[in-house]
Amino acid sequence: MNQTNRPDRSDRRDESNQDPASTRTPVKSYRLLWISLAVLGFSLVALRTAAAQGEGASPEAARDLWTTLGIWCAAFMTLGIFSFLYKDNPFYKVCESILIGVSAAYWMVNGFWSTLVPNLFGKLAPGFVQSVAMPDLPTPDSPTLEMSLAFVPLILGFMLLWRLAPKGGWIAVWPVAFIIGTTAGMRLVASIEADLMSQAAATMKPLVMFSDSVDEAGNAVRAFDFWATMGSIVGVVGVLSVLTYFFFSVEHKGVVGKTARLGIWFLMITFGSAFGLTVMGRVTLLSQRFEFLFQDWLGIR
Amino acid sequence: MMQRTIPIAILSLSGVILILAYFSPLTTSWGETVLNWFNVLAAVAFVLGAGNILRVNLEKISSQRPGWAYAAITLVSFFAMLAFGLFKLGAVPNAKYPDIHFAGDYETTASPYGWMYEYVLSPLTATMFALLAFYVASAAFRAFRAKNTESILLLGTAFIILIAQTAAGMFLTAWIPDDSAFAFLRFDSMRAAITQHIQTAGMRAITIGIALGVVATSLRLILGIDKNYLSSR
Amino acid sequence: MTTPQRGSSNPGLLERLGSLDRRWIFLSMGLSIALPILLQLRFPEVPGPMARATFDAIEAVPEGSRVLISFDYDPASAAELQPMANAMVHHCASKGHRIVFMALWPLGKQMADQTIDQVLLNFHPDLEYGTDYVQLGYQAGNEGVVKLMATNIPEQYKTDTSGTKLADLPLVGDLRNTSDFKLVASLSAGNPGAKEWVQYADSADKEAFTLVSGSTGVQVSQLLPYYPAQLEGMLVAVKGAAEYEMLVEEKYPVSKDAERIGQGRVRMGPQLVAHMLMIGLIVLGNLAMISGRARGGAQ
Repeated sequence: MNQTNRPDRSDRRDESNQDPASTRTPVKSYRLLWISLAVLGFSLVALRTAAAQGEGASPEAARDLWTTLGIWCAAFMTLGIFSFLYKDNPFYKVCESILIGVSAAYWMVNGFWSTLVPNLFGKLAPGFVQSVAMPDLPTPDSPTLEMSLAFVPLILGFMLLWRLAPKGGWIAVWPVAFIIGTTAGMRLVASIEADLMSQAAATMKPLVMFSDSVDEAGNAVRAFDFWATMGSIVGVVGVLSVLTYFFFSVEHKGVVGKTARLGIWFLMITFGSAFGLTVMGRVTLLSQRFEFLFQDWLGIR
Repeated sequence: MMQRTIPIAILSLSGVILILAYFSPLTTSWGETVLNWFNVLAAVAFVLGAGNILRVNLEKISSQRPGWAYAAITLVSFFAMLAFGLFKLGAVPNAKYPDIHFAGDYETTASPYGWMYEYVLSPLTATMFALLAFYVASAAFRAFRAKNTESILLLGTAFIILIAQTAAGMFLTAWIPDDSAFAFLRFDSMRAAITQHIQTAGMRAITIGIALGVVATSLRLILGIDKNYLSSR
Repeated sequence: MTTPQRGSSNPGLLERLGSLDRRWIFLSMGLSIALPILLQLRFPEVPGPMARATFDAIEAVPEGSRVLISFDYDPASAAELQPMANAMVHHCASKGHRIVFMALWPLGKQMADQTIDQVLLNFHPDLEYGTDYVQLGYQAGNEGVVKLMATNIPEQYKTDTSGTKLADLPLVGDLRNTSDFKLVASLSAGNPGAKEWVQYADSADKEAFTLVSGSTGVQVSQLLPYYPAQLEGMLVAVKGAAEYEMLVEEKYPVSKDAERIGQGRVRMGPQLVAHMLMIGLIVLGNLAMISGRARGGAQ
């Protein structure tokens, strides 16, 4: 799953390079600020909890124990990760360690029950899988053939796991070659069709655009559409100029150089827009965590 | 032969089968078999990943390297989640087959595995990525400098998109009528023009470039010209 | 002899801003999001052409059609995509479509379960599992899953998530491949996601089904070239979710728990303040740079 990387710690290193004398005084005030915020937060929690107990029949008090415990656990995990914003600390590191352990196990368990059991073991030993875990698992049409074929991924799987062994690393190259070959075969065709031909076709459109409408008398009217025409021209010029910029076999001089420069401008606008959209995404993630803290945990609505 | 010829043959064969499967209905079932194996191996890769985490953390603990206590926490949480999920501890019995323990639902919040997902994994993952909002703000303050034409274009576009994505964009230029000659100055019009024409053109060229790269790399691999993966061991 | 400039030993406010501790920026970002949530700031939205295209694409599919919604994300992107998922499932169910749920991401199955629980069982309790909707869940393999589904779904999915074989579920009993759906929607946060649905499923049979997507702000750029030829509808980040929610609620209002298909609009409140802060920070950073340069030039 390719998502943006986690925050790196370069910012922190930058700060550690500052003159100690210039940072000493502000650090104290920050500590004071953060301690005040923490005290304020916990006071609020204590107040809310006390209020919930007092009300007795309120929805918060009626929550079952495990849900309440879960919400508190989730809140501490959330605050633990947020604590990294102040500085790296044991609370954050504990949360980070839990995240690594739990997510690795989650992925492995899901892969096991969702894919390995029905699609591998279900073919190797359908009767056993049906009696132990998946009673409704369909029996293969030709069990012997399916079982024989299933030995291939089984063996390749064991060979892949050989990467963990200290010796015989070449054994894992066979399944790696299979994975690379399959990916290459899939992507070769998909890229030509969906990304090369379809995108080229989407670029090759009429440059001069007209819009059709109906006048008051009910007659069809065709008029020159300035903005649609501009859009088409910009689209074609943009694709060609950016492709020119990517074309390194010719030196970027003269007309080629100027076209490539135009391509860079298109790319800059593209990245500027992508930045704006990225900010929107990140802000949304943060607002969801705050919604959880304020509404689900503290009960502020 | 075992270390070079066979891997090259495996790679070429699997690649060629999938290409053939696309062009000929006669070979579609071959492609499906190969894909099935591929998907099973993807699940095995999760086991490999978990094994790697296990190895790295065990090494850290046994050599008492700095931070070994955190490695221990990782392993404890890993084994706890693994036990809850793999053995379906506390799973809700299957309504149709209540006697078959492993047919039970282990992902509901009523089970320990589901509870760990809901109240540990989910908030940790979400918050880890939510942190990026802070770092984007910090990076924007420190690194976004209008030094030349290119950076001014980037900044200008970012400003327009940032404003146009919110209600402010609508309010600020709402006074310009939709059908006037100056409607293109409305923030929503500018946003549409940027994303649907300029950004689309830029990304289309990038997509075409990536596709050419993928095709060339795939061909080099399938034809046995690129053998870098052999050194991955 | 040169005398030192008065300001060189005592930098101005703008220059001092240049070396501002990043934690002040963090605090201001936190407040810019926390305050609108606490004050419950809401702003009106006007549906844009992409949200409208998505809405129209789902409306255009004949009533009672079999549709596939793929949950290709995890909790890290749920803030953006769960509002879309909720609104889309409510839209499809209200329109009478029969929904098949699946996931290309391991945690996507849980996201789909959440939507089934909060939207389907809450707003459409009369719908019957197996006939009106089915949860197929997650399968490992990334694009391999999509590619195999394009030709042979029973080879990929033997059972649903509860272990019932597909043949016993009327909705999916006769499923052969993705061409048996009238609409495929991918709620996508990256790879694998909407791009793979375009590359492997849509390319396999272009005319068979309508393909729409909802994506995170980060992934939008990657998908833009496919709109509208390959992706007939596209929801762009949380703003797309908010706009789509408006269109859905306008035509298919709910009488209770309206916030479940209003999360997108709720999350647009903090966007305004946070975006203004971002613009302010960039401007301040540049002013600090200009001020520093001016001083350097003067010296």
